[in-house]
Amino acid sequence: MSETTDQPVVETPDGAGKPDMIVLEGVEKIYPGSTQPAVSQLDLSIPQGEIVMLIGPSGCGKTTTLKMINRLIEPTSGRILLDGKDVTHVNGDQLRREIGYVIQQGGLFPHFSIADNIGVVPKMLGWDKQRIRQRADELLHLVGLEPSTFRDRYPRQLSGGQQQRVGVARALAADPPVMLMDEPFGAIDPITRDRLQDEFLEIQRTVGKTIAFVTHDLQEAVKLGDKIAVFATGRLEQYDDPDTVLTRPANDFVSDFVGGGAAVRRLSLLELAHLELHPIETDEAGAGGAAGRNGTAVAEVDGSGKPVSWRHLPGGDATGVPLVTVPISGTVYDAVDVMLDSSASLVAVVDEEGRAQGVLHWNDLVGGLRTRERDA
Amino acid sequence: MSTATTETVDAQAEAAVEEGEKREQTRLAALWSQHYDLVILPAIIVLLLVFLFLYVGTRQLDTIEQRVLAPANVGGLLWQQILLAGASTVLVLLIAVPLGIALSRRGARRVQGPVLAVGGFAQALPPFGVLLLMAFWLDFGFTTAVVGLTIAALLPVLRNTVVGLQQVDQSLIEAARGMGMTSRQTLFRVEIPLAVPVIVAGLRVALVLNVGTATLASYIGAGGLGELVQQALRLNRINVLLVAGGIIAALALLIDWLAGVVERIVVARSG
Repeated sequence: MSETTDQPVVETPDGAGKPDMIVLEGVEKIYPGSTQPAVSQLDLSIPQGEIVMLIGPSGCGKTTTLKMINRLIEPTSGRILLDGKDVTHVNGDQLRREIGYVIQQGGLFPHFSIADNIGVVPKMLGWDKQRIRQRADELLHLVGLEPSTFRDRYPRQLSGGQQQRVGVARALAADPPVMLMDEPFGAIDPITRDRLQDEFLEIQRTVGKTIAFVTHDLQEAVKLGDKIAVFATGRLEQYDDPDTVLTRPANDFVSDFVGGGAAVRRLSLLELAHLELHPIETDEAGAGGAAGRNGTAVAEVDGSGKPVSWRHLPGGDATGVPLVTVPISGTVYDAVDVMLDSSASLVAVVDEEGRAQGVLHWNDLVGGLRTRERDA
Repeated sequence: MSTATTETVDAQAEAAVEEGEKREQTRLAALWSQHYDLVILPAIIVLLLVFLFLYVGTRQLDTIEQRVLAPANVGGLLWQQILLAGASTVLVLLIAVPLGIALSRRGARRVQGPVLAVGGFAQALPPFGVLLLMAFWLDFGFTTAVVGLTIAALLPVLRNTVVGLQQVDQSLIEAARGMGMTSRQTLFRVEIPLAVPVIVAGLRVALVLNVGTATLASYIGAGGLGELVQQALRLNRINVLLVAGGIIAALALLIDWLAGVVERIVVARSG
């Protein structure tokens, strides 16, 4: 992991307090033979350790922007700073060795074994064989592939999802502070993609890289991004956290782009742990006499404290209402999913051990969800 | 394969050895099932030569025939033939592959079309004509024949080199550059290795072409098996002609077979 704690902290406009790792200043790209800039006068800063999703319709300049960060595409004008250092004119090849790069389907070399693919950058940086091998094993482990099974295989022997994992491992090989990802999960089936996204977030929690991530999938942007940068024909239209982009689009373009599904998409941003839930009381199975607590839902629990059925519901009959649960680590989206799935109008939120923590009612969704004070 | 030591002859080691042998056997079986077709051609060649020898053996050969068909004479001409084909193919390799690589670089894309067109023109020239013209222009003899053969066989290799490099997945080149490989490293570590199967296929075509055309080199005094044909015709000895034809055919088939084996090895290596 890169150590940035000793560096002077540059306050970002949103006051996150993290130094900016990637800064684009007035960056512009005009392709030869074109009068219209592909990217015009772009200012963008990405704080250290955050995932920024670059999104927009095709031809909007999101990929051009990404490739200008590692100078695969040379900007026509403007400055690019990485970790406070101006890299606009340094040796591009050297620069790119210090930036992780992941492309669609991984871009693995078919004539290299998996271990050799992961070792490409370390080898160029002159690591010794032993260290490269160790690092490859370590990274395979990190991305959930058993090293002894996979290190000597060739890319064609792997599934698309596995190849993409190796692609991520390869980008992490030399432990670069910055990673650029160009629609890495674009060509993968939805189920595998969902799992890869979860794993990717899990990995990011441990590695804490600064990541610029190009996507055309709003769902993906909302799920993975700490921030979303919405592009339209070479201009940055809005740069905010996902919640703001969904609820307060900056202009007509963004609101068109975000589209009608915004309210539903937003549900996946609301974490149950941060919501004010209705209280729940529990009774051991068989212990009678729970009447009279009219305002509180009462659930019957089994020996280990897991709720099994409703005994009493406020203002209604508890019989026939199925008791369904959702883990508190999930989002409102998950809760809605569970409720729709089992035709229940309420759901019990449970902690890791399966003990009830509270209740979410269907009516809460339309009546307004109250969030608890975030514990900073 | 198995490296089990014989010092500790316990059941485990034996089992391991047995398993290793079994694995070796299944590996060979897999190899056989994949490549059994490679045995067919050599069998045909051997049959052809056996029939040839049996037939000629039953004939009464006169002294002229005996002298022409003496192993020293036939062997020498055969060696010349191989040398002609080999030298010209090596030259083709040395000229066409680097040229093809240079043509596929970004800066040279514009001249790629014209050069390939000229190559196509050279390909269309009958090799025999090229040899004769080269002989008048340069000189009669081995060197001129090699030059002529080289020109005639340049195109397949040139074209396959260009095409082979073109068909390398652009995203792989971008991945290589994106990870910080220089354009040189990208060329030698990614592009060329991935183009090798196509380049080798072109070389095989050139080699087979040269082995066949080398027969004509005798007309400009460069020797080779064509000499044997000419001797047979001059002396009106049908048996010699038969042997010459048989050997020329067998050599061409054998060289093609060898090149095919090499091609398979290369393809298997480059994934």
